[in-house]
This record gives sequence, structure tokens and C-alpha cells, in this order.
Amino acid sequence: MQPKMRHTLIALFLLFPLFASIAAAEALPAGDEIARRINARNEGEVVSRFVTMAMTDRGGTERVRETKSFRKYFGKEKRVVIFYLSPANIKDTAFLTYDYPEADRDDDQWLYLPAARKVRRISASDRGDYFLGTDFTYEDIRKETKVGIEDYAWKTLGEEMIDGHRCFLVEQIPVNEKTANELGYGKVQSWVDAEIWMMRQAKFWDVAGNPLKTSQFKDIKPIQDIWTAHQLISENHKTGHKTVFTFKDVDYGRNVKDEIFTEDALRRGF
Amino acid sequence: MLALAGWFIAASALAAGASEDTKSATPNNLRVSAILESEGAYGITRDRASKLEFIIDPQLEYRFSEDTRFTAIARLYAEGFDHLEPGRPEQREIAPNSRRVLLGDRTDMELRELYLSTQLGKAHLTLGKQQVVWGKADGLKLLDVVNPQNFREFILDNFDDSRIPLWTVNAEISLGKSNLQFLWIPDRTYHLLPESGATFAFTSPLVVPQAPPGVAVDFRSIERPKNILTDSDVGMRLSTFWHGWDLTLNYLYHYADFPVFFQSLSITPSGAVVTVSPRYERNHLFGGSFSNAFGDLTVRGEVVYNTDRFLLTRNRADSGGVTKSGEMAYVLGLDWSGLQDTLVSGQLFQSWLLNSTNDIVRDTLDTTTSLLFRRHFLNETLEAEVLWLRNINEGDGLVRPKVSYELRDNMKVWLGFDVFHGNRNGLFGQFAQNDRLVTGIEIGF
Repeated sequence: MQPKMRHTLIALFLLFPLFASIAAAEALPAGDEIARRINARNEGEVVSRFVTMAMTDRGGTERVRETKSFRKYFGKEKRVVIFYLSPANIKDTAFLTYDYPEADRDDDQWLYLPAARKVRRISASDRGDYFLGTDFTYEDIRKETKVGIEDYAWKTLGEEMIDGHRCFLVEQIPVNEKTANELGYGKVQSWVDAEIWMMRQAKFWDVAGNPLKTSQFKDIKPIQDIWTAHQLISENHKTGHKTVFTFKDVDYGRNVKDEIFTEDALRRGF
Repeated sequence: MLALAGWFIAASALAAGASEDTKSATPNNLRVSAILESEGAYGITRDRASKLEFIIDPQLEYRFSEDTRFTAIARLYAEGFDHLEPGRPEQREIAPNSRRVLLGDRTDMELRELYLSTQLGKAHLTLGKQQVVWGKADGLKLLDVVNPQNFREFILDNFDDSRIPLWTVNAEISLGKSNLQFLWIPDRTYHLLPESGATFAFTSPLVVPQAPPGVAVDFRSIERPKNILTDSDVGMRLSTFWHGWDLTLNYLYHYADFPVFFQSLSITPSGAVVTVSPRYERNHLFGGSFSNAFGDLTVRGEVVYNTDRFLLTRNRADSGGVTKSGEMAYVLGLDWSGLQDTLVSGQLFQSWLLNSTNDIVRDTLDTTTSLLFRRHFLNETLEAEVLWLRNINEGDGLVRPKVSYELRDNMKVWLGFDVFHGNRNGLFGQFAQNDRLVTGIEIGF
């Protein structure tokens, strides 16, 4: 073999992994395409379910809340209401949110506190505040399994297996500092199931770049042909606090009345 | 102080003994739960324990269907020192069928709420003894006057405990994006005011007529409205959600819950006597409320016009020592939540008398402000707050720092101070001797 040809073959051999990885990356869907596929996934026009919220602190002390929640789409506007059923001292607490499709329109939110017997309008700008003592933010609660496409720059990093399922690994960087501060995240990495376009795991970093929390979506199975996570786990690495949402009696076919998504319904309770 | 410490240890032990797997929900349609609350107070100025109360609120809820349910809430109340309601209060302000059952000087039982809630077409009916809460303001009430209040602890008790539920027909009719509420309240129950000698008995000349020195006072029984139909209260509220605004229009035709103290001066063989004849007077309330959120800021408010406010005057010859005036009042509140887990809330209350005279004991324009700072820690298990209420006219006020902690799933404890300051003729300043340290525990079963 001519020395020149031998050198060319060696160079090709050495460069093969690079070409292969480039080719593989080109085969992966773009980050914002993955985000669009997540949001395009059918999650039902309506859903009702019981949610058990178990919160455990670093010392192992557990607090458990039983809730009933409903979600319904009104056109592209999504409304979610959560009624607390137990324990007795926070029973009848209720939360209502209207999530609007317009990116420049703040959501509307209300909280009913039984101690005051008043519905309180609450600011929706604190998307990164934690929801009633859990490790999920108000934004997490509003979005459920959807994502805020416009809040992040999306980039596909590769593929990994999570719980035996092929997932796309996506990096999300908030589009600007203001959004990062609102969300409370400086970076997010998400593992999105390549078959059903549902998140199976997400890691969050705070705005200073420190590891913040890890969320997992478990026990995913179809209910009335809609893929549904029956357990959400979020663990805060800074505080050692952990929240587990367990869903049961998930029903996408139930007739959920429009009136349940009103201030008066919050006051009357479930 | 030792008694309070002993109480706290006993209450904690009781909570620790409560089963961890206690559930408020039983299978099927029946839910049974209870809340045990105990609070002790130590009077700092008087240097004595001023309160040691135990409250048990058992609650039963039965769901007949998705739209129909029955709710019953009772209360067993015991207070160890008998300073808040000394002896056996006569409860003259309360309708006979709504009165508490007194089991002694320090213990009573009460049916707090008993109602059936159901849907009839577009109408939601709530029938029975219940609380109806209007308005957006915190701490002071303009629209939240449908139910009267027990002033056993002035305004220190939380409103859910101090509000007196009434037998009410409550119909709410859905009109698409709006809701129309009708109230018929045949229950002729009014504010329960502490009797003379109680820790929080009113003494301010703004609300209690003052006899001249050396003049005897003959205090007559309160004259109560008698007719269950013609003396009922009625109200309506139209609420709607419009371009991000929560709006209501309210109307209430009611007996004002504070009695009017009509006075007459007479000369008897034993000397001059002021006869005080309290009675309730009618009022038309027209009002509205609003709230909306703009970024980190929530704006809320209430506006009220009362047609017939009766106010004490300095001249007893003038209409029995009282005069009637219309009143315009509003509250404007701003809540700021720009810092995570933090709420800063300010409110401005103003009341303006439309037919004021120089004889009226209060100013034509009365202004009260409130400032609340609240912050949550440790996933909302720990809450610290300071509330400051201040009346500008009298220069008096109330400061309430408080820390509460959710020790367990169903158990909360708290420690706080209630500190009154300012002019002793003012509504807050009259209780300047009642500053207190408060500690409590609440357990849900």
C-alpha cells in the first residue's frame, strides 16, 4: 500500500467516530422539535384523579395530603383545580389556575384558604415558587406533563436509556436572565421517551449553576389510550426534601362541569 | 406561666399519642374528621395567665351524590380561667335557637354549622346554618358583615372561629361567566359583645356611651327584632370574572350587628340617672369588590355605602345621644410577592361620614392602615409573620408577631404576641392593658 493511501486510511479511521457521532446527532430530532412533540402529545380534553402528595424532609418526617384534582381545556386555555381532602386541618384548601396559550399573558391563579374562608387572588409571576410546600413549582403544577417551549433554548444532547426506555436527552437553557429568575432554574436536562414523547426524568440546576433537584416520572401506562404517569417524584438536593405525587382513579372520560373551575366552586369545596 | 408550660407539655403529649395513620376520610360517602385546638395566653401587662382554651370541632360530611352533600360541624369549648366570658353569658344578642349550650361557667357546646348543599339545574343551594363570607379585605371588615362575630377576644381570634354561623337560605345561580347569589337570613343573631368585667369588654367612648361622673347608669336589656319574616336579613351578590378582574356587586338589607345605645337622662329622688336602651337598627349596604394580579403585585379592594350608620354623640339631648349618618367606606390592598416564599401586604381603610356633626364622637374621616409581612421556610412548614394594624385618627394600633410550625402531618404549633399601643380611647388602645403572649397547638384527626 502506498504510504499516501495508508495515511488517508489511518486519518479516516481516526475520524470515523467523529463522523459517526455527527451522523447520529443529525439523526436525532432537534431540541425544540422534541419540545413540540411533548406538547403535542394527547393528554385528554379533561381529566379527574385523586392525588396523594407525600412530602418527606431530610429528617424523615413525612406529611401526606389527599387531594382531588380536575383539568379541562377550554379551547387552548387550560384550567386546573385542586381540592385538598385531608388532613383535617388543611382540608378544603383549594387552588385554581387558568393557563392561557398567549406567551405574553400572565396566568390567573386563586387560592382558597379555609381558615379565612376567602378566595385569594395570587400572583402568577412567581412561577418558580414551590407549590404549597411541595418540591414542585407552581409552573410544574400548571404545565403538568407539558413544557414551556418559549421559556428555553432547547438542544438535543443525545440518547440514553431510562428505566429500560430509549430517551432523548435534551438540555434547556432559559432564554434570558429574567425567565431564569422567574422559573428558578439556570439549566434543565430532560430525558424524553422517544416513543411516547413523555418526560421520564429531569434534572434542574439553580440560577447559580448548582444542582437543585431531580424529578422522575414513574409508573407510566396508558389510561383510556392516553399515556399517564402515576407517580411523580421530585427530590431537592439542597434541602434534602422530597415530594411524591401518586395518582389514582385517573379518568379522562368523565364529564367535568365548567362551573368547577370557578372561584365559587373553590369556596364550596369538593 | 408554669400553668401554660404544663399545658403545652400536656398538649404535645396528646398530639404525640394521636395515631399517625388517622385519616379524615372514611370509605364511601361519609367523611368524619375533627380538629382539636388549644391556645393559652399570658397577659404581659397584668402579669397573669389570661386564657387557656380547648376547642374540639368534630365534623361530619355525607355525600349523597356528586352534587348533594350534608355537613355538620359541632364545637365543644372550654376555657380554664373564665376571664373572656366570666360566669354564664346571657347571649341576649343570639337568637334562642342558635345559642350555645352552657355546661358550666367555663364550658359550652355549640352547633356551628349544619347545612345541605345541592345543585338544582343552574342553581346551587346551601340550606342551613352556615358562614357566608364576602369581600377581599384582611383583618378589618367592610363587606364581610353577613355573619356576626363573637368579640370575646376582640379581633384576635381567627375569623373562622369568631364568625357566628347563621341559619341561611343561600342560592347561587350560575349565569355563564357570572354568578348571582341570593341570601335570606331569618336568624336574628348579632355580634356577641363581651360583658362588663370581661378581658376584652369594650370601654372606648367611640363605641360605649360614657356617663358623666357621679351619674348612675341604668343599662336596659337589648331590644331584639322579633319577627322572623319582617326582621330577616336579605342580600344578593353578583360576581363575575372580566378581563382578568374578579368583580362583585353586593347588596345587604340587614340589622347592623352592633346595637345602637340610645340614652336618656332623668332626675330621680336618688339623683341623676342615664338610661341606656340598646336596640338594633336597619341598614342598607351597597358595595362591591375587585381584585387582579399584575406581575408580582395583587390589587384588591372593597367599596361600601351604608345608608344608616348610628354614631354616638356627646350630646344626650340630641336624639338619645346618637345621630344617624350615611357612610362611604373603602379598603384598598396591595400584595407584593416579588421575593420567593414572601408576602408583603398593605391595606388602607377609610370611612367617611356623609352627615357628620361636631357632636359625633368619631372623626368624619376615619383612617386605618394595615401592614403584613409573612415568610415561609422549610417547605412551608415554618411560617413567620408580623401584622400591624394602626388607626391614624386615634394614633393607636395592634402589632402581632407570630411564628407557627407544622410539627407533623396533622399538627401545628405557634407562638406569638398581641401588643396594643396608643390612645386608650381608641378601639385598639382601649386594650393597652391586654398585651399578651400566645401559644397554641392544633391537631387534625
